[in-house]
Amino acid sequence: MTLLVRSFRRMRFIFNLTRREIRSSWRRLLFFFLCIALGVGSVVALRSLIQNLTRSVGTDARALMTADIELSSTADFSPSEISKIEGVLSLTETVEARNEAITTSAMASPADASNLSTRLVELKGIEPPFPLVGEFEMADNTGFDFALLENNGAVVAKILLEDLNVKVGDKIRIGEAEFQIRGVFEQEPGGTSGFRLGARVFVAKTAFETAGITRNSSRVRRSILYRTSDNPTELVRLLRESLTGTTVAVRSYRETQENISEQFARTENYLSLTGLLILVLGGVGVWNVARAFVEQKRKSVAVLKCLGASGTRIITVYMLQILTLGLVGSIFGVLMAQGGLWLVRWRFAEALPEKMTYSVNLWTASQGVLLGVAISLLFSALPLLQVRNIKPRLLLRDENNVNLRKLDLTKWIFGTLSLAGLLALAVWQAGSLVVGAFFLVGLAAASAVLYLAAMALTFLLRRLKVLGSFSLRQAVNSLYRPGNQTRIILLAVGLGAFVVLAVQSLQTNLVREFDFTRNQRLPSLFFVDIQKSQIDELVSNIQERIGEKAEATPTVRARISHVNGQAFDFQQRAVRQQQGQIGREFAVTYRPELDANETVLDGEWWSDAEAAVPQVSVEEEMAGRLKVGVGDSITFDISGRKITAQVANIRKLDLRNTRTAFIFVFRPGLLDNAPQTFAATVLSRVPPTERQRLQRDMIGKFPNIQIFDVADIVAALQKLINNFVLAISFVGSFVILSGILILIGSIALTKSQRIYENAILKTMGAKRQTLAAILFAEYGMLGLLAGLIGSSFAVLLSWAVSRFILEIDWVFDPVLLAVGIGATAVIVVLVGCLASFDILFRKPMGTLRSQ
Amino acid sequence: MILLQNLTKIVRSGTEDLTILDDVTVEIPDGQFVALTGASGSGKSTLLGLIAGLDAPSSGTIIVDGDDVTAMNEDALAELRSRKIGFVFQSFHLIPSLTAFENILIPMEILGVRDARERAELLLADVDLANRGHHYPTELSGGEQQRVAIARAFANQPSILLADEPTGNLDSRNGEHIFELMTDLHSARKVTLVLVTHDGQLASQAERQIVLRDGRVISDELSLRTAETMGI
Repeated sequence: MTLLVRSFRRMRFIFNLTRREIRSSWRRLLFFFLCIALGVGSVVALRSLIQNLTRSVGTDARALMTADIELSSTADFSPSEISKIEGVLSLTETVEARNEAITTSAMASPADASNLSTRLVELKGIEPPFPLVGEFEMADNTGFDFALLENNGAVVAKILLEDLNVKVGDKIRIGEAEFQIRGVFEQEPGGTSGFRLGARVFVAKTAFETAGITRNSSRVRRSILYRTSDNPTELVRLLRESLTGTTVAVRSYRETQENISEQFARTENYLSLTGLLILVLGGVGVWNVARAFVEQKRKSVAVLKCLGASGTRIITVYMLQILTLGLVGSIFGVLMAQGGLWLVRWRFAEALPEKMTYSVNLWTASQGVLLGVAISLLFSALPLLQVRNIKPRLLLRDENNVNLRKLDLTKWIFGTLSLAGLLALAVWQAGSLVVGAFFLVGLAAASAVLYLAAMALTFLLRRLKVLGSFSLRQAVNSLYRPGNQTRIILLAVGLGAFVVLAVQSLQTNLVREFDFTRNQRLPSLFFVDIQKSQIDELVSNIQERIGEKAEATPTVRARISHVNGQAFDFQQRAVRQQQGQIGREFAVTYRPELDANETVLDGEWWSDAEAAVPQVSVEEEMAGRLKVGVGDSITFDISGRKITAQVANIRKLDLRNTRTAFIFVFRPGLLDNAPQTFAATVLSRVPPTERQRLQRDMIGKFPNIQIFDVADIVAALQKLINNFVLAISFVGSFVILSGILILIGSIALTKSQRIYENAILKTMGAKRQTLAAILFAEYGMLGLLAGLIGSSFAVLLSWAVSRFILEIDWVFDPVLLAVGIGATAVIVVLVGCLASFDILFRKPMGTLRSQ
Repeated sequence: MILLQNLTKIVRSGTEDLTILDDVTVEIPDGQFVALTGASGSGKSTLLGLIAGLDAPSSGTIIVDGDDVTAMNEDALAELRSRKIGFVFQSFHLIPSLTAFENILIPMEILGVRDARERAELLLADVDLANRGHHYPTELSGGEQQRVAIARAFANQPSILLADEPTGNLDSRNGEHIFELMTDLHSARKVTLVLVTHDGQLASQAERQIVLRDGRVISDELSLRTAETMGI
């Protein structure tokens, strides 16, 4: 009992001392706190953001489809297909409602001839009851009523009013019919998601047919939609089974949701790793602060040991202190994450789903707190172990702390455990052992490379013996003072500069790639769905107007039905996931020659000689996806006819220099008489007004054709890229902030030494101005070196990503490099000087006396 | 009783070995007040540190109250200091992050003493600092800091008090005050007091004076008064 009471009292010593130490040291450990808070804040904010996004899109998957099951086809449903579908449905009683819809893209222009606007729209013909699932959000807050669409009425997306400069009540022309705008919606069922070429326009399905668009347009998609009272998975399986061999696609909202969720889960894990990177940088800050802390506490530790406290108890006290600060810092990080999410709402709400919520969820917050505490412990364990090496005898004669850093077995064990712990955290965050391990190895490799570069640069700097100025010489010496933090600062700040500059450099190159004034072969206007009978007249009309003979290409719609005699088994998930790429309808063409932007990788391009079998050329990536090589056969479904062709060669497409990009090109002969339309491309850079007028006139003459204004598409793409870059830069700025915190922590670590040096220099007659110049030169050099390292590696990464991953042209941008180095130097000088400024005003006597 | 037998301490200085203590043998009975004097670098402070187990000798043995200090590990040494030894340093060595009161409290909390707070209050009063307990070391004068250090040294009622030039950093008035305080406590609590000092006048007031030179004991004498008391 006495033993128990005594143990309890001894524990009280640990708790009491921890409490008192926190009370007195919290200011010194503020950076520790901030490092953890920033890291946890990043992890929690990024994870919450993507989770909220997933939830808002996930719940919308059903509304997005407006039904539970969708059967769709690019051709009319044949009687045999209808009977197969009805056969399956007659076996179930779960179908509650049904409707049909037709969608296509079409050109819309105001009926008022004085209004020259014209736009590509995404037209949807519907019939009641619509929608089976989900709701419209109308601009005037009234509900959607199908009556609005009767007698050639249209309900349009709000943006179209601006695009076409029309208002409710005005008439617009689509195809051969005119529609009156009767309603405007803010949000269609399921909301708008992803990239859309044109604004959505709803009309009645019957009016859609009479507008003549279905006669000619090859991109019409017909759907039959069902709402079920039960999980539709089994029904979908049965429908797929019965429709095997047809071109009807069967989808359930659950699969869409599943695919979206999977995609988001991957994104979430990658973003979490980015958060973890920031947290690990925070960990480096923690490591630094913990080292400084132990250094400053040497005497107190010796006193405690002299008074009878064992090393273990003292380590326990400091561990508890770290744990408490880690915990509070993590909680603060969660609050910061919430603030960050509000910031996202303020800045990006327009680009994100309307239903999205912006709060941190409890589970993610708890994970963040756990991560923060774990990182605090992992990164402070090794420095705290140094407490063991502090001997009480230093109270009798001051010894330097050489043996504090000595590596012994315990430190090796703890070092290994810390690494294992870090790996466990990375694997946990990445949701995969391989990705987690890669992250850690990648981080170690990047750090090692940056560290080596820092070592090489500082080594070279030391060889600079010709430095004339005293301040400059002193500053270089400062970079080498015992216990200097030069390399760690270069590593941390360099890493921050690296992330931000790499993203900026990539953006510059990406934006340049989509700057169509540079790509001479990128069309400015793209005409499709031109009938054979119209092509000559259209080409000559365009030539009259702008003086360019548009290049006309025949296109045939085809769908892959078999590969080497085998049909796709969409029951298999792996195949179904590729459905979008391999199961879709392709625009194919036929021509005798290889295009300028193409190269044959395998096999040979066809000669003039007659071929024994029909031949097709397959694009490289598609060949990989279909697992076909030269000599294999692919069967296509073209307007219901099955045509088998032999793969004659595999082609590479240079998308940077492309005018048209066809995945499948047939040898002339086989398709010459198949039902086909033509596409025409115009390369001339026509001014916007002239471009609109030309579109308007061509639509007037040929109502069935569609025109893609590439400038519009490019603008939309650029907006996407800019948002993406902004988002990554936002994350990158957190990396920079972590770097700055590490910088401040490192400055604190060497501060006492700097104070002592300054006191001695002052005693020897150095003026405050000289000391300030030394400070400025030291941080200036550090900043320049960090900027140089970060920028150089950023340029290297941006080159590698552009060249090998994005496969786009890469141009060296010296301005970005210079600005990167300059900005990094300015930040380091500012932070460094501000954090050390007070040293200049210290009286030397007090400092020297206290030593 | 403190028994030092053939104590040698050699430290490495650059490439050379430096002998700090050379075959020192001393026996200090319980309750004796011993002054340890000698020139700077003669090994006084090292000897004091060895007795407290703050450092280990290169050879020889140290027995404190029957326990062989040289055979103990770090934790056992800490425990020994906690129970039996109080230490006063020339530069006080108070923990700057704790108040005067908390500095006195610490040794008792380490040992797990029951009525630590009450005892700390009494000790503060003993050193005339009853109303300064809430002050941090930086807010106290040198003399006050040393008084706190003495109160801390007596916190666990040690049987041995080791003082390393406790008046060295103080002016003469404060120095005298501290010396008186220590000798009074020594007499009142019957502790063994080993005082390292340069001050001949202070040393002369001890019961016994040991003089060191180059790590060797060159003189070990009882004061006249002590000799008389002991009937020598």
